[in-house]
Amino acid sequence: MSDEERQPSRTRVPMPVAALSDPHMGDAAKHPARVEKIIAVIFLLAIVFLALFGAAYWQNWRAWELGGTIGVGLFLLGFGLTAWGKYLMPQGPFVEERHTLASTSEERDSMAAALVERSAVVVKRRKMLGGLFALGAGIFGIVAVFPLLRSLGPLPGDSLDVTDWRKGTVLVDSSGRPVRKDTLVVGGIMTVYPQGTVNPQTGFITDRGQAVDQTVLIRVSDQPLVPPTMPGREDWTPDGYVAYSKLCTHLGCPVGLYEQELELLVCPCHQSMFNVRNGAVPQFGPAPRPLPQMHLGYNEQGYLIAMAPYDQAVGPGFYERTT
Amino acid sequence: MRGVRTPLRGSFRTQFLLPAGLLVVAVMASFAMFIPGADAGASGHADTAQVPSIPNKHVTTRACGTLNVKGVTGTTRNAGNPFNSSNRFCLNGHLVSYGSRYITYTNPPQSLISAGQLLFAQTCSSCHGNDANGVNPDGTATIGPNLQGVGAATVDFWVSTGRMPAADVKAVEAERRATRLTPLQALELAAWVNSLDPAVPAVPYPHLATADQSAGQDLFSLNCAACHTITGSGDALAFGTNAPSLQNRSVTAQQAVEAMRTGPANMPRFSGNLTDHQVADIVSYVTGRLEHPDNPGGVGLGGVGPVAEGFVALLIGVGGLVLICFWIGERS
Amino acid sequence: MSATAATTKRSAKAAMGPFGQVGKIVDELDDRLGVAKGGRVFLDKIFPDHWSFMLGEISLYSFVVLLATGIFLSLYFVPSTQQVIYHGSYRPLDGQWVSEAFKSTVSISFDVRGGLLVRQMHHWGADIFTGSIIVHMARIFFTGAFRKPRELNWIIGTTMLILAILEGFIGYSLPDDLISGTGLRIGYSIAESIPFVGSYLVTFLWGGQFPGTGIIIPRFFIIHVLIIPLVLLGLVSVHLGLLVRQKHTQFAGEGRTEHNVVGSPMFPTFMAKTTGFLFMVTAATALLGAFVQINPIWQFGSYDASKISYAVQPDWYMGWLDGALRIMPSWEFAGWGHTIPFEVLLPAVVFPGLIFTIALMWPALERKVTGDDELHNLLDRPRDRPKRTAAGAAMFALLFTLFGASSTDVLANFFHISLNEVLWFFRIAVIVIPIVAGLVTYQLCREMQGVHGIGKRKRPVIVQRSVQGEYTTVPTPPRPDDMHTELDPEPVPVRIDIEPLSNGGTGEPESSPTGVRQVTR
Repeated sequence: MSDEERQPSRTRVPMPVAALSDPHMGDAAKHPARVEKIIAVIFLLAIVFLALFGAAYWQNWRAWELGGTIGVGLFLLGFGLTAWGKYLMPQGPFVEERHTLASTSEERDSMAAALVERSAVVVKRRKMLGGLFALGAGIFGIVAVFPLLRSLGPLPGDSLDVTDWRKGTVLVDSSGRPVRKDTLVVGGIMTVYPQGTVNPQTGFITDRGQAVDQTVLIRVSDQPLVPPTMPGREDWTPDGYVAYSKLCTHLGCPVGLYEQELELLVCPCHQSMFNVRNGAVPQFGPAPRPLPQMHLGYNEQGYLIAMAPYDQAVGPGFYERTT
Repeated sequence: MRGVRTPLRGSFRTQFLLPAGLLVVAVMASFAMFIPGADAGASGHADTAQVPSIPNKHVTTRACGTLNVKGVTGTTRNAGNPFNSSNRFCLNGHLVSYGSRYITYTNPPQSLISAGQLLFAQTCSSCHGNDANGVNPDGTATIGPNLQGVGAATVDFWVSTGRMPAADVKAVEAERRATRLTPLQALELAAWVNSLDPAVPAVPYPHLATADQSAGQDLFSLNCAACHTITGSGDALAFGTNAPSLQNRSVTAQQAVEAMRTGPANMPRFSGNLTDHQVADIVSYVTGRLEHPDNPGGVGLGGVGPVAEGFVALLIGVGGLVLICFWIGERS
Repeated sequence: MSATAATTKRSAKAAMGPFGQVGKIVDELDDRLGVAKGGRVFLDKIFPDHWSFMLGEISLYSFVVLLATGIFLSLYFVPSTQQVIYHGSYRPLDGQWVSEAFKSTVSISFDVRGGLLVRQMHHWGADIFTGSIIVHMARIFFTGAFRKPRELNWIIGTTMLILAILEGFIGYSLPDDLISGTGLRIGYSIAESIPFVGSYLVTFLWGGQFPGTGIIIPRFFIIHVLIIPLVLLGLVSVHLGLLVRQKHTQFAGEGRTEHNVVGSPMFPTFMAKTTGFLFMVTAATALLGAFVQINPIWQFGSYDASKISYAVQPDWYMGWLDGALRIMPSWEFAGWGHTIPFEVLLPAVVFPGLIFTIALMWPALERKVTGDDELHNLLDRPRDRPKRTAAGAAMFALLFTLFGASSTDVLANFFHISLNEVLWFFRIAVIVIPIVAGLVTYQLCREMQGVHGIGKRKRPVIVQRSVQGEYTTVPTPPRPDDMHTELDPEPVPVRIDIEPLSNGGTGEPESSPTGVRQVTR
């Protein structure tokens, strides 16, 4: 084929022409002149509002004025354009034929044949190479995942099990003040952290103090609770003070909602309810386990202290958690 | 093959106005849910036997007479205990006022006691007993609890917020409502009840000029938001109880202090864990910011949060745009 | 001299061809890229006009708005949980410890000109984006547009829905405020609950026991700003590309078959309408962003893991999961040294996994159940597939009930009912309501199938009685309003005679066009 024959033909051939008055080309509106005027007014209003937005921005007006002007302006602009398209542009209806997506069965067969038979040639001749390559690629696929996942962070270890509370840790409030015998009156509640996690000068509380060690302290009575919150906890509630981990055993929200008359701790997230007199056993809602209770005592200075770490992991459940 | 083109006609009504009208109705209905209105007046029955009673604790001094300090901490300074505050003023064996530069607690004048006794007999004795001790003349327990030793602030809070006299004695919790009694009458009642067993806290008068709203916000979010929500919109709690809205502008600073110091109904009692300074900070935040929310972004939707926002996004946002699709396209 | 200049000008114009400068550009482009043929086909593309076909455009254009507003925000946001003391425009936070992320978001809201508007547009846009995806997906589902050959598009679309939900959750968690931080804590606990891998997953992602090293916010930032948008852009391109290749579906009707598409042409009509719609979607987002406040994080304060607010629901598209978590009974298994928290796993991991798996597999499931392997380019009316419509209605009823279940406290407050009673109501409702909805929908469809002329205007009928006592009915003639103008669908004309006067204004289609030139190259 000569060069000239390969080039696409550049002769201009006559093409069928449709008349402008063809109803397919025509306006959909009954009164196109009126519609045109309306759209013109809409565009003018849009211009006004958009210009107003420019002025509003320049003059540093408020958010609703900025948004109102550009919102109305853009809406009018879009509305006008859409109306133009809907009422004044050729509507048709026009039709387009769908071409069959599928190729001919010959083309399909030849594709399948190319895949199957050519691979067979390779595999038939070089089976061992294929196998080794597949093994290498597979191993790459596996080890490539290692840095993607493992480098992200540390192993959990036992970090999910322990808090900073130890025997003798003083309970302090969010300003770093220790708690004394008469700090709370019956019916009072406060959030406490281990001493050392709250900086009294700056008010800064460490992440662990807030997230893991957070404890809720309630004065339920002015005598140690009888019966005890749980068997064996007779001396855990001196002077009627009860302390529980503030981390909900459902999903870890702080259980800060206390109803004094009902003696009920309610978790605000999903409304699990814990009775503070019976060891914060969940009475209602999705929480599965009681809130871990803290064994309270006093030190020589008269401050409330923890007598031991929590006897179990605080917060929600996870696979490695043992009771 | 025949094609169809439907020219424009008066179907604008059905195509556009009807769906638009339905949308507007849906929007109004969901908006009505989120406009802060009256607090939840729950049904149920009150169980006064469950109320933990604070044992009496009396302190007697020559100057101030015998004072029931069961309701306040002994430990923290300037936290509502007259014997541990910067100021204390007693006269003729009665406690007149005490406090710090952030809150002054003052007992109602003795002169109001007789009017208070009369008013109590007319209004309150049927539920609380003739001597406000929760005992009927025949020895049975009254519906209302024993009021002896609750202190003037407690009485003033319940009466000035309209919770007492109770509208529905069977309700789980009394709700705030328009007061039947005047502020003076509230003080008269407080004076008389207090005279039976003089107690603290006295009626607080907060001084908010030097209060720190930022510290108040910090303390509010730690101590109060769990029940009242961070925007103060209030919400339903367990078993028909509720935390009232603090966006209500009729909540006064005095009432807020009274509530914190006396722990009404299921609200905890904040004593030694919050000093007067901290209470003033919180109250300044509540009356200054929660009651006048900073909504520079537009309509605040009652501070309810993503539930309301979701309704608006779906009904007004997506709904409105679908309505526009109705207009642009055809209905075949 | 001037005559020569004029002639040169005219001949230069003539030499440019009958289509002027535009024709020349087309020629130049086509020489290099060969675009003329495909371009012409593209301009002729037909779009069916039904209103429900525009729902996907709402999603597309709100995505565009999200990209634009998001780029703005990303130029100001500081993705860091470093704690600093706030000193800035919003006084009630002055002197408090806040994270850099929170501080920069407050700064955008108060100090950057237009910042609050753009921030709110972004958040409203996200809500509208996910909402419109669901509405669009519903249309596809109920009309059977997911059937062969469009199953891949359905899978891509469902994947985009999952990504959109994830993107939204990550996005509103970036400011590290009290409410979204609580949501992150909940997310951490949900991931932690997964057996075997949970505790590893969370310490890897967060960099340790909650809240970790604080790396989660920068990680979320890059996921939200780069990774997911890139994936979404890619998926959207394939989604639209498939639509172009396979062409749009259409409802059955006069002139519409399995082998054609009837509607308005791409250029100029559809382009005008869709561009106008782009502006209107942007405008709707702007108006919402202007007049209705959303996510006022300055009122919430910076996240502190020991603080909590009541009435914390996640954004609406996560509400169904929150509702499921609330109503789930506390079935945790603890034994043999291990704990499996089913009360978290079932509603928050298994349930959404099941829903999305069913969604992704629906075309295959339906093919298997109906045995229908045909190509479908015509859509079903929902009433013609009662079982499918009922299943979809039941699903929506379930999601709606769960959404209600996440607002138990708000509902209890509004209707003055005990919170506990409201919760029990939803525990029962979540089973009953979908079943009832499905059954009712099924019945409705069957009945609507049997009744002809539903929705059409009724015409009055004249009843006449003859002398013998016979009754006959005479239909009244149709009103002019009820008459259809019928036009045959035609292919888009190759050329339009835009100057009819030169043809003597006959209005008849010409067979020989004007302005033809013979040129050989």
